[in-house]
Amino acid sequence: MATVDSTDDFKFTGLGGCNEVGRSCHIIEYKNKVIMLDAGVHPGLSGLNSLPFYDEYDLSKVDLLLVSHFHLDHAASLPYVMQHTNFRGRVFMTHATKAIYRWLLTDFVRVTSLSSNTSNDPNSGGTSANLYTDEDLMKSFDRIETVDFHSTMELDGIRFTAYHAGHVLGACLYLIEIGGLKALFTGDYSREENRHLPVAEVPSVKPDILITESTFGTATHEPRMEKENRMTRIIHSTLSKGGRVLMPVFALGTAQELLLILEEYWSQNKDLQNIDVYFASSLARKCLAVYQTYTNIMNDKIRSMASSSSYDRKNPFTFKYIKTLKSLDRFQDFGPSVVIASPGMLQSGFSRQLLEKWAPDPKNTVLMTGYSVEGTMAKDLLIEPPTIPSVNNPEMTITRRLSIEEISFAAHVDFQQNAEFIGEVNAPRIILVHGDSIPMGRLKSALLSKYANRKGTDQEVKVFNPRNGDELKIAIKGLKVAKVLGA
Amino acid sequence: MSSTIFYKFFHQKSQSTIHFDGTGINVFDLKHEIIKQNQLGEGNDFDLKLFHSEQPDIEYDQDQDVIPRSSFVYARRAPANPRAGKFGNASRYVSGRPRINRKAINASNSQ
Ligand SMILES: [Zn+2]
Ligand SMILES: [Zn+2]
Repeated sequence: MATVDSTDDFKFTGLGGCNEVGRSCHIIEYKNKVIMLDAGVHPGLSGLNSLPFYDEYDLSKVDLLLVSHFHLDHAASLPYVMQHTNFRGRVFMTHATKAIYRWLLTDFVRVTSLSSNTSNDPNSGGTSANLYTDEDLMKSFDRIETVDFHSTMELDGIRFTAYHAGHVLGACLYLIEIGGLKALFTGDYSREENRHLPVAEVPSVKPDILITESTFGTATHEPRMEKENRMTRIIHSTLSKGGRVLMPVFALGTAQELLLILEEYWSQNKDLQNIDVYFASSLARKCLAVYQTYTNIMNDKIRSMASSSSYDRKNPFTFKYIKTLKSLDRFQDFGPSVVIASPGMLQSGFSRQLLEKWAPDPKNTVLMTGYSVEGTMAKDLLIEPPTIPSVNNPEMTITRRLSIEEISFAAHVDFQQNAEFIGEVNAPRIILVHGDSIPMGRLKSALLSKYANRKGTDQEVKVFNPRNGDELKIAIKGLKVAKVLGA
Repeated sequence: MSSTIFYKFFHQKSQSTIHFDGTGINVFDLKHEIIKQNQLGEGNDFDLKLFHSEQPDIEYDQDQDVIPRSSFVYARRAPANPRAGKFGNASRYVSGRPRINRKAINASNSQ
């Protein structure tokens, strides 16, 4: 016995999010068990084209789908997978992820059906750009199972455990065990504590394989306090000049951290207290209750604040200075103000309307705080174009004189944080995902040179950066598995 | 009279229909119609391949081949192959002319 056959190879197939940021979806396979990691869409693309390359793998073979967090690039094709493909596996995510996922995808269905109906594209027609309906969403929603942090699920030869990933509320890393093999998938993760989230945890066991994000490659983040100071300085000086500040954000995630920062800043600056700060996102308003509910999985500061009896039952996510704005019609745009509005990539909607309205006035500022995805208005703005196209009237251009500032609050690790985490996890095989080719390639080189002295030893570290559609095989040798003899 | 071809992407549960005139449609035109129907865009970032329904491992790899009406085919949206230039993606089915012309010219030049 003990013959080694090809089923002892660990296989990784990248269906999306490989050498790109967007439509994350990876298949891992070992000893005939198949696990799918995430099912996202590409925010810079629409319709079927925004999906991972689902034709590249027989989805009926998937036993289990683990969703790392609620962001669209990780979760938004899930209803499609569950309702319109031959996928038959079980699906898991954390409780908080599921709670937000529901609102987020309801909004996604609304936004995508809106943009496909009002499209001026002469090539449209035929099927709409909608991937699924509300009904698909609700039918599949009930079949999504939830997992608690730190409790190990065991099903049919696969064990998995969710650990805190930081990043956004509910985000987790998954440690997966199949037949003695351990793989850790980071999803998106952060290692710097902010106002509400804990940092990503390093599991106590050493995995054989690490699948990690590489969004920022070898870049270095500005220290958090400097970033916050720079942001509040820009906002303060724009307002003092009589200007308006637009902060395009993705409605959930970093936005809640920004609200906490601004609430604090306003409470400390009396001269600002007569200037309005609006958060224009009906989606975020709906999800506020989820944030208020799940303070127990946030960091120690929030947990003690929320549980403290002396706190007068005030929830950290109940704001005094930040007002919600239901629609642009209700917005009296008379003087200086700050508007935090979605979508973060400025493709359409509230943030785009305000951008077009405020673009000609040099007193105004647009402040970009997220990761700007290739192919979106947000990315195009960063080169400071003299004009921008009008979204409702493609023939028209709008003069752009407002100033453009970028301060990244994207809750992803930078090089030092990623390398440190990778070092602590200490897996001999590393697969890089979730990064554009160039930063990812730089990260690979940096890791290889960091571990160059282990080359040729049994401590050797191998780093892979597969492309979408690639199947990567990693030979697994010498796993100590307790086997029942004679079975 | 309108003719039909049925197709579905490998991963999909349900099939779709393309309408056209004539007794058959060539592979180039069918790919063009499928891209249009699904609003797949400019075709630069993916390649579209079609396969026989009875033998899904056999590809319709000649753009000029004609698929008879009422046939069923499988479609596969694959990542573009950047090394193969514009023959590694589907952009030619969106904007370009059938590959057959170019091929025929090349063939006659080389003789
Ligand atoms: Zn994310
Ligand atoms: Zn992501």
